[in-house]
Formats: sequence, structure tokens, C-alpha cells
Amino acid sequence: MNWFQRLSKTGRMEKELDGELRFHFETQVADKINAGLTEAEARRATRLEFGGLEKIKEECRESRGTLWLVSIVQDLRFGTRILAKSPGFSVTAIVVLALGIGVCTLAFSLYNIAALQSLPVRDPATVVRIQRRSPGNINPGVPYASIAYYRDNAKSLSAVMATMRASPLVLNQDEQRVSGTFVSSNYFSELGGSAATGRLFDAARDDSASVPVCVLSFRLWQRKFDGDPSIVGKAIRLGGKPAMVIGIASETFASLGTDNPDLWLPLLQHFYFVEGSKPLADPNFGGLIGMWGRLAPGVSRSSAEQELLSLTNQLRNIYPAVIWDREYIVITPGAHFLSFEGGPPVLALVGLLVFLILAIACANLGGLLLARGAARQREIQLRFALGARKLRVFRQLLTENLLLGLLGSVAALPVSYGVLRLVLVYSNAPSWMSALPDWRVFLFTTAIGFVAALLFGLLPTLQMVRRKKNRSLWNQFVVCAQVGASCVLLILAGLLVRATLHTLYSDPGFGYEQVLSIDPGMSGHGFASAQAQAYLDQLQNRLRAVPGVTLVSTARVPPLVNTMVMFTSIDVDGRRIMIYPNWVGPEFFQTMRIPLLRGHYFHNGEKNAVILSESLARKRWPSEDPIGKQWEKSNDVVVGVVGNTRAMELNNTDATEIYYPPTADDFPAMSVLVRAAGDPNTLTPTVKAIAGSIDTGLYPTITPLTAGFRKNVSQVEQIATIISLLGSIAIFLAVVGLFGLVSYAVSQRTREIAIRLALGANRLEIFSAVLRRFAWPVLLGLVAGVATTAGLSRILRRGLYGISGLDPISYMGAMAILLAILAAAALLPVRRAFQLDIARILHFE
Amino acid sequence: MTPCTSTRHRVYVEVIGMSTASKFELPQGTLDLLILRVVALGPIHGYAIAQHIQMISKEALQIQQGSLYPALHRLENKNFLVAEWGPTETGREAKFYRLTAKGRTQLKTETESWERLTEVVAMILQHPLGEPA
Repeated sequence: MNWFQRLSKTGRMEKELDGELRFHFETQVADKINAGLTEAEARRATRLEFGGLEKIKEECRESRGTLWLVSIVQDLRFGTRILAKSPGFSVTAIVVLALGIGVCTLAFSLYNIAALQSLPVRDPATVVRIQRRSPGNINPGVPYASIAYYRDNAKSLSAVMATMRASPLVLNQDEQRVSGTFVSSNYFSELGGSAATGRLFDAARDDSASVPVCVLSFRLWQRKFDGDPSIVGKAIRLGGKPAMVIGIASETFASLGTDNPDLWLPLLQHFYFVEGSKPLADPNFGGLIGMWGRLAPGVSRSSAEQELLSLTNQLRNIYPAVIWDREYIVITPGAHFLSFEGGPPVLALVGLLVFLILAIACANLGGLLLARGAARQREIQLRFALGARKLRVFRQLLTENLLLGLLGSVAALPVSYGVLRLVLVYSNAPSWMSALPDWRVFLFTTAIGFVAALLFGLLPTLQMVRRKKNRSLWNQFVVCAQVGASCVLLILAGLLVRATLHTLYSDPGFGYEQVLSIDPGMSGHGFASAQAQAYLDQLQNRLRAVPGVTLVSTARVPPLVNTMVMFTSIDVDGRRIMIYPNWVGPEFFQTMRIPLLRGHYFHNGEKNAVILSESLARKRWPSEDPIGKQWEKSNDVVVGVVGNTRAMELNNTDATEIYYPPTADDFPAMSVLVRAAGDPNTLTPTVKAIAGSIDTGLYPTITPLTAGFRKNVSQVEQIATIISLLGSIAIFLAVVGLFGLVSYAVSQRTREIAIRLALGANRLEIFSAVLRRFAWPVLLGLVAGVATTAGLSRILRRGLYGISGLDPISYMGAMAILLAILAAAALLPVRRAFQLDIARILHFE
Repeated sequence: MTPCTSTRHRVYVEVIGMSTASKFELPQGTLDLLILRVVALGPIHGYAIAQHIQMISKEALQIQQGSLYPALHRLENKNFLVAEWGPTETGREAKFYRLTAKGRTQLKTETESWERLTEVVAMILQHPLGEPA
């Protein structure tokens, strides 16, 4: 018989065990009667000799070895009954756990989708991302010349793919632009993509020679063309250039990486769509071409890296200027949405916050369990009296906790699923991403359920079994931990909310409301410097003539618009200062309304001059006049000091900026800024018409700076909302926990309170006597929470718009709110104790 | 001694014949050995095993039910014993234990090691140098 058979025959074995012992008992009685005792005496004597019949049975069962399984089933059944008997406790516990575990599951699900799940492409395990590194450089892109060389020579790669994002394209005459990605012609076939209708790019056909073509995403097809299949074979206009739609990618097709474009274009036709561009021919092309590959069968990533390294060294002979010093190739798994190499601090921060919430949930549940343990003391003592062993009772209580933990996990799954669905829909995620939990999520959630059960259950249970009266140390630890953790979340929430308000209602240091930015996108079209300068001059002159336009200028980095921000740094007395550089035209400061504090603005055509922001001037020369000083070993002389702006970093009031006059190299990258007398949006059509008419090959992007500002702010708002939500969950949990703990403390001292009341004690005195032992842990928790947050806020620094990481209002506010809520949670059980029937309590004991 | 004997099972026997019945701890595994020896005589039920040990030991050992039955089930679980239900001489149904081939081998090795152990222990205890100074 194996253990399973034994388990399934438990009923028969029980009967046999009973029969066997009964036989022994009866035979012994019969022998005693034979020896001359009366039957009553014989039975009594035998029973005494036998001792506990149940205890013998239990030991027999145990020596059989299957007991652990049988007893777990038993314990589970018993646990279910116990939980069903007190639904109030059970529901609270499960809600608390569902929140704590749900947040963990949600965070893990997101991580799972982004980094663990493979993209639904053919043979995802062999798809790799290929990037170049050197000790001094990190660049996700690879020059096309290198890609082609690797493609033709690498034996460890069975295929090489290239992708390159296009700047947003005008589709037909739509106001809203669409996103596009240029891909190598083997892209779809290598990834095993299929067409919903029509065909996809085909490595066998040479699309570069044919008419310009494109493949639409399923999403764009539905949105713009209502899923009309007759669009295939027709021409659409992209950036004013006709292109034939050859097909629609299927709905489930997954692009590599985070790319989720509206349409795909052949990389070989890049020169057609972006006029004047030569990314394929020019090895010095600065654009970002991503390189992907498929490992040949049986080749490992490291051996492929080895081979590519030797190819890189051959490449250095062909393009000495392109290959970096000591350049090497890094190959990472490619079939994931994101890859977290080296674990950035943000991942650790999120992990920590999420674990904090679980810890708070568990600590609070521990408090509730303690209060319950007091109520169950009689039951447990009775079991010990009946001969139960400590370990057995401990195991039974542990099973109950595990059951709770698992129920919490089960309840957490729908919570996490619901939120995740909202997140995916809201963030316009690729359609292959599913909120449905996969096996990893199930496994994780179950494991977290177990971890939670151990966290909340182990110590209270141990103390329950040990039958110790004094549990105050654990109580105090729990209070300390939950106050600390709630404190961290509340302060963070406060900081972020304050930061959002600050960004919204404070002066960014420049006037952005009435300014339009016009990015002609000349560098992408291969404009030379002189050509670009001519275009800029012409555009500015014509714009100045438009009624309603007050000022026109140029800047290489128009504020608030760019997603990419440049910075550089200098060292002053060993301290590193981060500086945002910008290259601006003469009237930039007037256009942006940045005040001049000293010196003068740039003159027309002024060279070798720099203008510093006030904060930079102060940091560089704290006690000297910066005007006329030479700037950092260059030929540039400081000619002016202007007010601080938060143009590049809205979160930093102390941002340090340096302005240069544009050089020839800057012209193709410049944007034009226009200040309107009234609403800038009314100017948009005129500006668009002028910008388009000067050079029909260009499709300028026109953005009101207010839009950029709103976009920046809304990101902060979202983060603040999420953190506030987490903070309020933490408070809810803390209230549950403290309520449980104070109830417990009161229940332990009910008799004392009753006697004191009977003797006429002052209620306030009793109140403070009960709560006094919570004072120190609360204080300690506050201190620990403040210290932790102060540490964490250094990481958050960049997200805190204009607020110091040690903002006193946020800290004081959070502590005040926390204390008020804690006081309310503590007051309730104590008040209840005062309403007790004194006489009854004293009788009861 | 068998290495697989669980340390959890401490066997207490009552020693009759002293002024007060006091418990002493039977060395680990000894009860198992005694049971195997008794069962080797032929199919026998639990009560009779206890009686036999008591009788053979001239009432010196009285096996408690709380030790006997867990031991029997343990030995059955290790496949040293098999059990069958059958009628006793009084006509009642009882569970009769019988030695398996594996049990017989176990009895042999355990008996040998017990004999060697007692021999060695006796040797040391009876040696003059073994007397405390």
C-alpha cells in the first residue's frame, strides 16, 4: 500500500484501529473479571491503565507516517469551520490580505508582462537585442554600416533585423500624427508575423526598388479606415508623400521592444520618406537604428558576443571613425517588452514600497490575530488539557494562518486583474498584453500568500502556543512597524502632491503660455548648415510679418517640448554641477520673458559669448561679478546673467542653465519660437502654412508650449495619484491594525479597568494608562518613518517638482494626519470598555 | 540498533517488583526488538504480545498500551509485520500480527547487535578499571 492508498482508506483503517484497541480493552477487562473483580471495578481499573484512548490512537496514526497529510486535511477542515464561525474577523482579514497581496501581485504582473513574458513571436528564445558599448559610451543604436557587416559576416546569427523609429508622420491631411517605424524587410517573416489582410514586407522581394509601400497596424486600420479591407493596394499620403498600403499586420503581431507603432515602413525606403536622409549609406548617421538578431541553432549569447567582437575589430579598419575605442557588443534577450539590466533604482524603490504595503498589511493582521488569540485562549488551553502536544496545536494554528493567506491570495487575484486591465487600457498597451494571470503570477501570488501567512501569523501563534501572558513586546514592535511604514507612504504622498501643486501654481521662471514652438525637423532631412540658416532666417522674417506675432526667436532645445534633454557638467571646488546648455537666437530671452539681471543679451551675430542663469553664476562665482569672466577654459566670455528658469527640469527651481549663441552645426537642429499677442492657437494655421510653403519637403511640428507644460504636469499628477492611493491603503491598514491592538490591550485589562472604575478612578487616567504603552512605539515608528523617507527622497529627487525632499509641511502634515487617525482608532475600543457592565465583569472573573 | 528508529518514541515500561512501581526508559528500539521476537513465535494479537512479554519477563516488564500499539503500527508500516483479522479462541475478532521475511531478517540483525552491545557494555562495567575511584 502506498501512502495514497492508505489515505484513501482512512475510514477503514480508523475502524480497524478502534476495533483493535477495543479488543485489547475488552480482553483486559475479561481477564480482570476472571481474576475476581466485579465488572465495574475491572472496567475502571482497565480504563486507568489505558490512559487516553484518543492519545494512543493519535500516536498510532502518527507512526504510520501518512498522518501529516490526513492531519492537514483535518486542520484545513477545522480551520474553515473556525473562519466561518467568525465572519467579521475573516472578512476583515481577507480584505486586508487582498489589498496587501493584491498590490504585490499587481506590481509583479506588470513586471511579468514587461520583462518576463516573451513577446508572441516565433521562437522567442533565440531573438536577441544587440547593442554596442565601450568603457566610455552606451548607445542603444548601431550604425547601419555595422549592422550590414554583421549581417553578412556573422555565423552565430541566423538573421539580423534593424528597426528605426520615424518622427511622427502626417497621415493624409490629419491633424493628429501617426507613429511609424522603419524596419528591415525580414522583420515580419523573422518574427513569424502574419497579415490580417494583404501581405507584409517580404525579405525575398526587394521593396527598395518597388514603389514606396507601408504596412498598417491593426489598430490604425480600425481607427482610421474602419477596418475596410479595400484599403490594401491603395495609396495613402505619409508626410505628403504617397505610399501604397500592401497589407495590415494581424491584431496579435508584437513589435520588438517598447515600439508599438501605427505603421511600418521599409528601412530601405527611408531616403524616400525622409527626404535627403541617408542613414544606410552614411556610417556617421546619427539616428538611432536598433539592431536585433536571431541566434543560429545551438549558439549561446556569449559565444555570439565573442564572434561579433572580432567582427567589430575588423570593422574598425573599414570605418575607423565610427567604431569606438575598445568597443564591444552586448547581446541580451530580445523577445521582451523591457529588459531591466542591472536593476535600476526605480525597480528597487517600487519593490520596497510594495513590500512595505505587504508588511503593513501583515503587521496589522498580526495585531488582529493577537486580539483573537486572547479570545481563543480557553479553546487552546482545553486542547492542551486533553493531551494535545504543543507542536500539534502550533501546526493546526499555522494551517489556519496558511488558509487565511491562501484565501487572501485568491481574493488578491481579481483585485490585481481589475486594476491591471484598467492600466493596460489606459496606457494603450499593445494588444498581446493580457491582464489575465499566467502561471508565474499564480505561483508568485501563492508564494506571497505563504510569505504573508508567515509574516502575520508566526509570532502571534508562537506566543499563543507558548501560553505567555506578556505579548507587549510584539505589540509594540507591530505598532512601531506599521506607524513607520504608514509614515513613509504618507510623507511621500504629501511630497508628491505638494510638488504637483507647486508646479501648477508657481512661476516656472519664463512665460510659456503664449508661445508656439515650430520644429522644422531639418536635421532628419539632411539639411546642411547654410541651407538650414537660410530657411530659419526666411521663416523668422515671414513670421514677424504675421499680425498677432510679437516676437520670434530660435532655440536648439525649445523648453517643455523636447522629450530629450541635454545636459553637461562642470566641477567647482570638487562639487559636480549639472548644467543644461541651450543654443539660442538673439531675441530668445525676450520671447520667453526671461529677465536680464546683469550684463546684456546676445547681440546679433555675437560670438564667443555665454549667458548664465543666476543660479549657475552664483554657484560658479559665489562672491565675484561673473560679467567679463572667461568660461571654463574656453574662449567664451560671460556677457550676461539671466533669471533662473525651470525650462528643462520643471522640478528644479535651482536648475543651472547656460546659453550659447548658435554655431553653424546647430542650425539644422534649431526650432523657431513665436510669441503671440493673444491666443497662440489661433496662429497655428497661418504658421503652419508659412512653414510648409518655404520648403515643401519639410513637415514642421508645431506645439504650443502650454501643451508641453500640461504633459509634464500630468505625469507628476499620475505618480502623485498612485502614491496617494497607496498611502490611503496604508492608512486603512494601520487603522485596522491599531484598532485590533488596542482592543486586545483593553481586553487584557478589562478587569483592571472595571475595578478602577468601581473604585471611582478618573476616566482620563485609565485612558492614558491603557494607551501609555503605545506612546513609545508610535514615537519610534514616526522617527524611523521620517528617517527612511528622508533617505528615499534622494532617489525621488527628480520627481519632486520644486519641493525639497525634506519639505517640512509634507512631513509635519503627514505626521499630524497619522497621529489623528491613530488616536481615533485607539479611542474607540477604550470608549467601549468604559461602557461595560462593571458588576458583570467582576462576577465573570 | 536499527538506525531508522524514530527518536520521538520513548518507551516506558513499568517495572514490577520494586517497592514502588517506577518508570524507566527502555533503550531505544528495544521494544521493537521484543515485539519482533514475540511475533516470531507465530500469529499473535496485541493483547497477547503484552501478556507474553509480561509473562516471559516474569512480570518484570509491563508494556503500556500507549507504547505497544504505536510500535506495532510503526513496524507494520516498515513492512516488518503484516496483520490479518481473525477469530480468537473466545470467538472475538482480533488483529493478528505475523512476521514478514523482511521482519525476520531485521529480528536477526537486531538480536545480534543487541547481544554484542550488552556484551560490550557488560565487559566495560565489569572491568576493574571501570570502577570509579
